[in-house]
Amino acid sequence: MAEAHAHAHGHDHGAHAHHPTGWRRWAYSTNHKDIGTMYIVLAFVASLVGVAFSMMLRAELAYPGMQLIHDQQFYNVLVTAHGLIMVFFVVMPSLIGGFGNWFVPLMIGTPDMAFPRMNNISFWLTLVGLCLVATSTLVGTGAGTGWTVYPPLSNAVFHPGMAVDFAILSLHVAGAASILGAINFITTIFNMRAPGMTFHRMPLFVWAILVTAFLLLLALPVLAGALTMLLTDRNFGTSFFAPQGGGDPIFWQHLFWFFGHPEVYIMIIPAFGIISQVVSTFSKKPVFGYLGMAYAMVAIGFIGFVVWAHHMFTVGFNVETRAYFVIAHFHYVLSVAAVFAIFTGMYYWLPKMCGRMYDERLGQWQFWITFVGVNVLFFPQHFLGLAGMPRRIADYPDAYAGWNLVSSVGAAITLVGTLLFIYLLYRTLTAGERAPANPWGEGATTLEWTVESPAPFHTHEILPNITTQPAE
Amino acid sequence: MTNRARNIRITAAASVAVVVGMTGLVAVSEPLYRLFCKVTGYGGTPRMAEKASGATGEAMFTVRFDANVARGLSWGFRAAEPQMSVRVGEETLAYYEAKNTSDLPLVGTATFNVQPDRAAPYFNKIQCFCFTEQVLAPGETVRMPVTFFVDPEITKDVHARDIGTITLSYTFFKSDDQSKARVAQSEFKPESKTYSN
Amino acid sequence: MTKSRWILFCLVLVGTATFGLDALAASTGAPVPWQMYFRDAATPVMQDIVDFHNLILWIEVAIVLLVLGLMLWIIVKFNAKANPVPTRTTHNTALEIAWTVVPVLILLVIAVPSMKLLFFMDKAKNPAMTLKVVSHQWYWSYEYPDHDGFTFDSNLVPEDQLKPGQLRLLEVDNRVVLPADTEIRLVLTSDDVIHNWAVPSFGVKMDTVPGRLNEAWVKIDSKNIGTYYGQCSELCGVNHAFMPIAVDVVSKQDFQAWVEQARKKFAKADEPLKVVDAGTR
Ligand code: HEM
Ligand SMILES: [Cu+2]
Ligand SMILES: [Cu+2]
Repeated sequence: MAEAHAHAHGHDHGAHAHHPTGWRRWAYSTNHKDIGTMYIVLAFVASLVGVAFSMMLRAELAYPGMQLIHDQQFYNVLVTAHGLIMVFFVVMPSLIGGFGNWFVPLMIGTPDMAFPRMNNISFWLTLVGLCLVATSTLVGTGAGTGWTVYPPLSNAVFHPGMAVDFAILSLHVAGAASILGAINFITTIFNMRAPGMTFHRMPLFVWAILVTAFLLLLALPVLAGALTMLLTDRNFGTSFFAPQGGGDPIFWQHLFWFFGHPEVYIMIIPAFGIISQVVSTFSKKPVFGYLGMAYAMVAIGFIGFVVWAHHMFTVGFNVETRAYFVIAHFHYVLSVAAVFAIFTGMYYWLPKMCGRMYDERLGQWQFWITFVGVNVLFFPQHFLGLAGMPRRIADYPDAYAGWNLVSSVGAAITLVGTLLFIYLLYRTLTAGERAPANPWGEGATTLEWTVESPAPFHTHEILPNITTQPAE
Repeated sequence: MTNRARNIRITAAASVAVVVGMTGLVAVSEPLYRLFCKVTGYGGTPRMAEKASGATGEAMFTVRFDANVARGLSWGFRAAEPQMSVRVGEETLAYYEAKNTSDLPLVGTATFNVQPDRAAPYFNKIQCFCFTEQVLAPGETVRMPVTFFVDPEITKDVHARDIGTITLSYTFFKSDDQSKARVAQSEFKPESKTYSN
Repeated sequence: MTKSRWILFCLVLVGTATFGLDALAASTGAPVPWQMYFRDAATPVMQDIVDFHNLILWIEVAIVLLVLGLMLWIIVKFNAKANPVPTRTTHNTALEIAWTVVPVLILLVIAVPSMKLLFFMDKAKNPAMTLKVVSHQWYWSYEYPDHDGFTFDSNLVPEDQLKPGQLRLLEVDNRVVLPADTEIRLVLTSDDVIHNWAVPSFGVKMDTVPGRLNEAWVKIDSKNIGTYYGQCSELCGVNHAFMPIAVDVVSKQDFQAWVEQARKKFAKADEPLKVVDAGTR
């Protein structure tokens, strides 16, 4: 986008020798890059769990009958935990907490976020949330409610025990973390841009994070409120969603989807941002229709809320919902699109984050294996959905066996791709070539490529001055 | 620099205000949702009225009466007549019957809705037992009245005027609060009676 | 990402065509191995759903082919070798307006029939009878309010009790029976948690919600007489996968005969009021 006439090497390392080291550096970190790194590590660890759960599900579904998971409640618990972990502790922390923290300040030319301490709190809250959701799978019979936690199934009558309470608290805490993060991003992007970095010169990734932050700000309080009502229904005798006390279970669905629809955009808009940066970099030209793209993301965010209204009118009518078709569809959006964007972001920014280059050939292999894997995994699920296979079942009528086996084989291929990525990360960190400040050449015009690789602890202490129009 | 610090504070405060505003909105969402359902008939919520408007029309509707008892409440519950033919605008009285089949007094609360949803805004209830909790002594049978009318406006709604049959449904739940049952235990004699409240 | 999905789809389609189209043409009310598409529509509503789906499918195919074509064009004509000096063009107002307006138009094209469909699904003209469906953890019960209100439960036939030819996880002990050529109102509710009564061939997939009655309708032509299967389609707890639905659609005469016999079979001893099993909370 904008070209910087800044001199990243202008600052003096010696002046900052006081920054903490050892565990204190991380635990008390107020540094946007360190916090970004911690978010990425958290998402990585969570993804190990989330993927492991999904592999257990797919292994069980490979053949009709119950082979590995003999207890449907346990299957439900795995489905629920997989959904919650992937959404709240893999996709969101990596895209927003990870890349957002790392690159928003770098891209807009500011030394750090507006509220560095709050940033630290956001991260640790997210970690607490992850621990709580893990706990929820372990207490009692677990939370077998699905990630949508619909009452009455999720109320105290049908899910006694603490598991659902832990899941609710987990989302509360993760939600609070995301709200704090959103306030931080909005404040940073509005006020801390370097001189000349006007809104219309901002890289699209920054636009994406800004739109996402607004969606979080609007959607998450509603989720938090709904979860609070569910918690008091479960524990303090209220009946917001319990018909015997005059409540209405449908009311939960409206509140949940008021959050749920924007949530899809929360996960996908940052992915758009990343892809835009990468396309612009490697085609060596600014994004075509830059402003259109920026405002399209704003419009999509806005529509995300309007779509909720359509849900109001289709409760109980929509035929394809709850069929396996849905599983196929949102995995294409979330798993294939968002996760591939996460991989893309990792490849693109690894040199900046760790100062080393990855092995291009391994990367190509990883892409193709994973690409084939997810398509074999998720495409046949469209057929299963159309043929009528319901969601969230551990065993299915024998006619569905064929495509389920194909899908599970796809899961295995995906797993190979994922393991290869882990190996690639390991190779990069231990034996990767040293990366220059800008390994991508003339197309990489955003500010993060003006600082050395790995990005030093402090950057943009001397504010860069942005003079180039982005889109002429 | 101080200028920036002030702007930062303003932005952060505005963001917090948005969060507080949204939180406030959910906090009042429950009454809002109820109001919305009542006003629009959303989800099959019938209207409440003082009395029929007086105007009647030619159109006839079949009104069906559906009765359910949720798990946990040992009652029998059904409509005295499974269905009735009513003239639009005319105030009609129907009865449901409930019987406590257990040997304990029990408090029940009813929820209700109207199907199809499109008919709900025109279905007016004047008097009905769901407004209060019902206490039944062991073995006791009660007849409970419902007075209602179908608003003649329904014949002007292109989406609703083709409806021939409207179903009114009640479900009795065991109330969470059974304290009235304990009081009742000392007062009730097991006999049949007709409620009118 | 969607492009890849469609390439694969085409490959799979071609593949299927070569080993016979059986998989595409499922002609029963039950799923068949390797089925890739809807079950045959047995009701007007399902027919409309299939038509609507096909409309969207072709629109999608067209979009995907267009995007795929553009991508190929870019990859071939504008790669770094073929086009070493990228243009700096970043604007074309007409183009940008076009690609905003066209998708909006497409959405409108889709929205109109989708609204029509919603209204159609919601509109029973004048049903001649009513079937009441009540969900429980984890079985269905059915009631015939227009036939003296007899009622019965319908439970999964466990694997070890299946007779030859019966479908695992789909067969039930008491099938629900419906007459052909009759407009039937379904009213549905639940005894405990939310379940979903779904019979794909009927185009019915209706939530059953405790404390609330929902309504749907079916009309099955006599040429579609047969057995139709479905499954609970909303997560309802431990045995969610084990509460199937089986519907026998029979001629009107056969239905009358069945009613006579079912009335006796499922009659309850002299009862002024239906006594509801209390269960425990
Ligand atoms: C490694 C790749 C993945 C595999 C093999 C996989 C597999 C599965 C399976 C088998 C189910 C349960 C389907 C059912 O029985 O209803 C499921 C549900 C789900 N998955 Fe994934 N998944 C993967 C990646 C992801 C990703 C990246 C996300 C990101 C958000 C995600 C989000 C979800 C959600 C939200 C659900 C629904 C949970 C529910 O029904 O409550 N999955 N997945
Ligand atoms: Cu069920
Ligand atoms: Cu179910």
